[in-house]
Amino acid sequence: MLLNLNRLGWWKLVLFGITVLTTAFLLLPILFIAALSFGSSQWLIFPPPSWTLRWYQELFADPRWLASAWTSFQIAIIVTVLSVLLGLATSFGLTRGRFAFREGLKALFLTPMILPVVVLAVALYAFFLKIGLNGTLTGFVISHLVLALPFSILSIGNALEGFDKSIEDAAVLCGASPLEAKVRVTLPAISHGIFSAAIFSFLTSWDEVVVAIFMSSPTLQTLPVKVWATLRQDLTPVVAAASTLLILLTVLLMVLVAVVRKGLKS
Amino acid sequence: MVSHTETDSGRAYAPTRVRRLTDFELTLPALVLLVLFFVVPVVILLMRSVTEPVPGLGNYVELLGSSTYLRIFTNTFLVSGLVTVVSLLIGFPVAWALAVMPGRAASIVFAILLLSMWTNLLARTYAWMVLLQRTGVINKVLIGLGLIDKPLPLVNNLTGVTIGMTYIMLPFIILPLYGVIKKIDPAILQAAALCGANRWQSLVRVLLPLAVPGMAAGALMVFVMSLGYFVTPALLGGTANMMLAELIAQFVQSLVNWGMGGAAALVLLVVTLALYAVQLRFFGTDRMGGR
Repeated sequence: MLLNLNRLGWWKLVLFGITVLTTAFLLLPILFIAALSFGSSQWLIFPPPSWTLRWYQELFADPRWLASAWTSFQIAIIVTVLSVLLGLATSFGLTRGRFAFREGLKALFLTPMILPVVVLAVALYAFFLKIGLNGTLTGFVISHLVLALPFSILSIGNALEGFDKSIEDAAVLCGASPLEAKVRVTLPAISHGIFSAAIFSFLTSWDEVVVAIFMSSPTLQTLPVKVWATLRQDLTPVVAAASTLLILLTVLLMVLVAVVRKGLKS
Repeated sequence: MVSHTETDSGRAYAPTRVRRLTDFELTLPALVLLVLFFVVPVVILLMRSVTEPVPGLGNYVELLGSSTYLRIFTNTFLVSGLVTVVSLLIGFPVAWALAVMPGRAASIVFAILLLSMWTNLLARTYAWMVLLQRTGVINKVLIGLGLIDKPLPLVNNLTGVTIGMTYIMLPFIILPLYGVIKKIDPAILQAAALCGANRWQSLVRVLLPLAVPGMAAGALMVFVMSLGYFVTPALLGGTANMMLAELIAQFVQSLVNWGMGGAAALVLLVVTLALYAVQLRFFGTDRMGGR
C-alpha cells in the first residue's frame, strides 16, 4: 500500500510536499541567476531595481571571454571525436574479447571516473611540466580525454552488450565483409550509445574545471577557468550573464537529446 | 561466398592477406593512453611523497601528526558526512514520491533533476555564493519573516559548503534510490498490509529494509565524491575552512611542496579506493559514477 498512490492517504501530501520543495530547491538557483543577469545592480540585489543588458554587453566586449569560450569549444570537440573513436574500439574489444585480464582491464578503464579529479589534475600537472605539455591545447585534450573516455566506454559498451551479434554474423554470411557488416549493421544499431558517448564526452570536457585550472596558462585558458578566476576576485554580474548562457546551452543539449532519442526509437 | 573463420579465442583472421585486429589489440590505443597519462603520472606523484625532500615517511608523519592538517581532515569528513545524511533524508522521500507519481508529473521532476545535474558546476556554485551572501536573498527572506534580526553568516564557512554540496549531490542519491524503489513489487507491501501491518510498520519493516541496498550504495557514492570535491568547497568555504582536495592543490600550486602534495593525494586515494572496495564487495558494480 505504500507504493500505491491511492492508498497512501495523507502521507501522499507529505511526500509530494517534500518533492515540490526539493524540486524548487534544485530549480530556483538556476532561475535566480538567469534573472540576475538582466538586473541592473552591480551588487546583485534581488529583486533588481531595473533591467539591463549591460552585463551581456560587457561579456561580449571582452575578447578574453570569447577567446576562452572558443578554446573550450575546440578542446571539447576534439575530445568528443577522439573519445567516441577510442570508446568504439575499446568497447568492441572488451565486449567481444575472451582474453585474460579482461575484467581487470575494464576496471582500469573506468577508474578515472571514480578517482578524485584533483589527484589526476595534480599528477598530470607535474607530468606535463616535465614533458612540456602544460598550457598547450594537446595537454588539455589529453587530460580531458582521460576523464571522458570512461563515459564513452560505458555508453557504447552497454549498447553493444544489448546488441545481438548474430545479426552482424548474418550480414557476413550474406556476403558483407566483416568491416562492412560492422559499419552498416552494428553501428546503426548501437547509434544511441554512440550518441550518449558523444554528449557525455562533450559535457565532461566543456564543463571540466579542476584539471583545467592546473593546465591553463596566461595565454590559454578554457571558459570554466575564466569563470573560476573571475569568481576568485569578485561576484560580478558578468559571471551571471556567462552562467545564463551556459544554462541555455544545457537546456538546448537536453532538448537535442530528447529529440534524438525519440528519433532513434521510432 | 567468402570463407570466414573465427575461433572462440576471439582471434579472428580475414580469409586472405590482412590479419584482422584481435579484440585485445582493439583496446590497445586506450590502454596506452591510460597508462601513459593516468597510471604513470599518478604513480610518480605518489612516489614523490616518499622521496621528496628526503627519502622516508617524513611527509606522512607531518601530515597525520599536525593539528592544522587534522582540522582539514575533520572538516572534510564532517562536511561529507553531513552532505550524505542530509541528501539521504531529503532524497528518500523524493525517490519514493517519484516511484508512485503519475508519469507526467514524474517526468517534470526528472527533467528538473537532469537540468540541475547538467548545468555547469561553476554556474551552480556561483548561484549559491550570491544567494547565501550577507545581503543575499536567503538572509533577506529570513529577516523579512522576522526569524532573525541580523544576517546569518552563511558563506565562507562550512554551512555554505554543506548547502552547496547537498545541492549538487541530491540528484546522485535520488536517481539510484528511485531505481531501487521502483523495482520493489507493490504486492509485497500489499501483503504486509493484509497481514495487519499499519503504515509505519510497513515503512520501517518492509519498505526501508528493501531500499537499504540502494540507500547504502547512493550514500557511499555521495560520501566518496564529497571527500574529493574541490571547486565548491574552495568557493563557498573560504580560505579558513579548507577541505582535503584544496589542501592538495595548495601544496602543489602555492607551496610547490610535491612531497606533501603527494602524501595528501595518497591519503585521499586510499580512503576513496577503500570505500569503493566496500561498495563493490557488498553492493556489486552497478550504480557507480554517473555524472
